[in-house]
Amino acid sequence: MLEAADLMVFYENMLALNNVSIRCGKNQIVGVFGANSAGKSTLMYALSGIMLDIRKKEAMAGGERITLTGSIRYLGREISTIKPSRRAKMGIVLCPERRRIFKESTVLENLKIGGYLASAAQAAETLAYVFKMFPALSKLKNRLGGFLSGGEQQMLAIGRALMAQPKLLLLDEPLLGLSPLMQATLMRATREIRNERKISIIITEQYARPVLPIVDHAFILENGSAVMEGSREELMDNPDIRAAYFGV
Amino acid sequence: MEILIYGTINSVALALYALGFALVYGISRLPNFAHGALYVLSGFIAWSAINTLGLNYPLSILLTMVVMAVIGALIYYLFLIRVRGMEISEIIASYAIALAILEGLRWGGFRGMTYTLPAFIEGSTAIAGISVDYQRLLVVGFGAVLVIFLWLFTHYTRIGLALRGMAQDERAALMLGIDSDIMAVVAMGLGSMLAAFAAILLLPLGNIVVESGYNVLILAIAVCIVGGIGSWIGAVLAAFLIGFAQILTVVYLGSHYQMMVALLAIILTLIIKPSGLFGQQKELEERV
Repeated sequence: MLEAADLMVFYENMLALNNVSIRCGKNQIVGVFGANSAGKSTLMYALSGIMLDIRKKEAMAGGERITLTGSIRYLGREISTIKPSRRAKMGIVLCPERRRIFKESTVLENLKIGGYLASAAQAAETLAYVFKMFPALSKLKNRLGGFLSGGEQQMLAIGRALMAQPKLLLLDEPLLGLSPLMQATLMRATREIRNERKISIIITEQYARPVLPIVDHAFILENGSAVMEGSREELMDNPDIRAAYFGV
Repeated sequence: MEILIYGTINSVALALYALGFALVYGISRLPNFAHGALYVLSGFIAWSAINTLGLNYPLSILLTMVVMAVIGALIYYLFLIRVRGMEISEIIASYAIALAILEGLRWGGFRGMTYTLPAFIEGSTAIAGISVDYQRLLVVGFGAVLVIFLWLFTHYTRIGLALRGMAQDERAALMLGIDSDIMAVVAMGLGSMLAAFAAILLLPLGNIVVESGYNVLILAIAVCIVGGIGSWIGAVLAAFLIGFAQILTVVYLGSHYQMMVALLAIILTLIIKPSGLFGQQKELEERV
């Protein structure tokens, strides 16, 4: 489905991603774990193409010089030079870190804005699906996005991304700052979404324990490099990994 | 009573000037200093359509709106896209376009008091003993219709919702496939169309003169700064604030102080509350 090889990202002279290669198969959930500043969000920005937009803006404003190399193949096509809005249309939709809800729009409007790329029929179908998956949201339809709790915002962010009809959903730190109960709810929902919508999901997180039960395969990032990868079982059995990322 | 009626009319006129500017800035963070020039240009295009091409009035109006939308979109696509993100350059570039349009018109022979657009309906009526011509009443009516239309457009259509998403968080919108350049083209097209709408409603009240391009720009900026730049509700409220202040000034101080009101409003706002009446985004952040 998606295969990224030798991704390198520099901010000026700082190496943010160093030769990272990751894969995600059809209908798989792939985890990417790493500490703060390991390069998780940079990786997500590179895959979704947002990095191209950031680079353009920085160049315009005379800010940081960003260098981006490597190849990204998606559905058999090289997409590393395709701009982010086109990638979204091709089905790569990023649900960003810190959720980035439209705070001055209602829950319903947030979802409708998410449905920009969808046909009317798709949007209606997905809207019903999101409210079925997250019943809490359907009660808050007319509440402004800015007045939701963290968990509700995260549900909304995932719902909004689903409205864009993803084939590959990128979830960047969806559990950040949420209660264990909410984390479990969201992970269960993520697995159901994968099963029911037949999509692939890449999910990043600092702390692997709540995410690991639902992933098929995972990568570990450390200081911008992918230091280890393996299936769920392989990672669970590795004592170093257990100590560093699972807190067992 | 006179103050109330003419204050309202003046306020709606200011809101019409400002809405196009506020819309473009709100969506694309693009200060379009060519807004006043586009307003005047619309007047001349409509005049030419009627007098040179010999079209009837409604058709000319329609043609002007369409042509202006295309011109606005082209201005972004050909010029402003190259300086996106560099605020000072955006202002300089758009102001240069304004100068080119306005001085170009002057050079092309559009001078003096001979250019006027016809009123929609001639004549006047009396409200509570004060005579008001129909065109001024139409300004208020169409102004209200426009605000309602814009509200519906931005709340219920796909493009309108996308524009609002873009206005709130450009990068988040981009992740959902909303392309910022396409949206900016749409915003500029729409903003220019609003300038044309304002011109066609308001120009029949006077002559089409090149100088009003600069005045309209200043008034639009004043309204947007007082209202909280980028906020449409703020712009409408500020239009009423400045509109009534202007009329009161005219009545009690003399009409030559009228232009000062807008400039004073800019200065006072920047001193007292730089984010304007509706610095919405900030307020919300503080509460959360």
